[in-house]
Amino acid sequence: MADGDQRALSELMRRHSQRLYRVAVGYLRNADEAMEAVQEAFVKAHRGAERWDRSAQVGPWLTRIIINESIDRYRRARRRRAAEEPLDEADPHGRWAAEGPSPERRVLGRELREHIDSAVGSLPDRQRAIFVLRHYEGMELQEIAGALNMRLGTVKSGLHRAVYRLRELLAPVAR
Amino acid sequence: MSLGHARWRRRTALLSAGALTGVERESAQAHVAGCPRCAAELAALSDTRRLLDAEPPAEMPLPFAELEARVLARLAAGVPAPVAAPARRWAPLLAPLAAAAAVALAVWGVRPSHQPVASPAPASTPALMAEAEPARPAEQEMLQRMERLLAREQAARYLNEAQDVLVTVTSGPPPCPKGMRRVEVEEQARQRSRALLARRASLALGHEEVASAQPVMAEVEEMLREVADLPSCVRAGRLQAMQREIGRRRLLMKIDLMTRELQG
Repeated sequence: MADGDQRALSELMRRHSQRLYRVAVGYLRNADEAMEAVQEAFVKAHRGAERWDRSAQVGPWLTRIIINESIDRYRRARRRRAAEEPLDEADPHGRWAAEGPSPERRVLGRELREHIDSAVGSLPDRQRAIFVLRHYEGMELQEIAGALNMRLGTVKSGLHRAVYRLRELLAPVAR
Repeated sequence: MSLGHARWRRRTALLSAGALTGVERESAQAHVAGCPRCAAELAALSDTRRLLDAEPPAEMPLPFAELEARVLARLAAGVPAPVAAPARRWAPLLAPLAAAAAVALAVWGVRPSHQPVASPAPASTPALMAEAEPARPAEQEMLQRMERLLAREQAARYLNEAQDVLVTVTSGPPPCPKGMRRVEVEEQARQRSRALLARRASLALGHEEVASAQPVMAEVEEMLREVADLPSCVRAGRLQAMQREIGRRRLLMKIDLMTRELQG
């Protein structure tokens, strides 16, 4: 890699890595996975730099890369789990429902984190992406629509569903 | 619940998420102020919001230097470099802040008026070819290369989105309120299936660059048709049968492999 490239890449990472990490960990709910996602996002950004639309800002472009990377990673992990654990026909909802925290890990704070992990983790991919970009990144709905390549109405509807689903799942600990 | 209230319920949710601005926000606040039901909902949603806000902000578990070293090592370890990448391709990314803004991304700079391929929505191939007609041989070659790249990218994106729909529909559907052993199929997933089926016709599948994707595309199309035909509340067994069929065909793995092949 040319020196100029490396300096520019390092500067870009310095400016955006923490922000991208927050998005990734908000989506993946796992620090190691999120760290790897950030790493991979910068590798992909480097590879795709020549395709970057010069009229666009760098921040949203990187946000799009990290959220897509997070979605891909989550899907791969979900497929691995699905392959290891076939469906139980007698209890179709059991495995599909969000799992609560294990009894032995019911420690204050950690328990809350587990509840949130579990609740956010149970949102469908797109809803989760919308929620994460809104809640952890504070993006406007129109920006989210741009980052996820969705219509504004779809973003509104996805966020509305996500908010109500989280309310339902977190109600026992929110009181 | 009246249709009117359903609309306000949606706006209340967006209000609680801080996602409304301007007139929309003001009208939602005014409605909530005069609607006890919506006010109660907003209060409950605000409790959830406070809980989510109580989560401490995430900090990277590794020092920046280590992340930097990992990325540089990963790039040095053989991530294939894009064809004819310009030597200083990173400089434009810092354009708002540095004088290096003037450095162009030469690969895509055949014509200054061309927008490079934006990640989510590339320019259409016909438009590119229409502009290419008067091009000189070198430009013609460049545009043909771009056309091949676009055909591959469009096919890869299509497969990726289709995989998303199939995984979303068959994994983790919430129970359906209509009855036991029934699960909900998101309207959005069904709409996306229909949109993907409609979009397939516009893919340049005859292009030799993506010819190898055709068998997988045919299988994907078959499954998307099933999703598009699903009702909003379906027997869990039906989705399980779909999931088994997807597994039997190893369709998700095929999509992964084909997407990687198309993306180079």
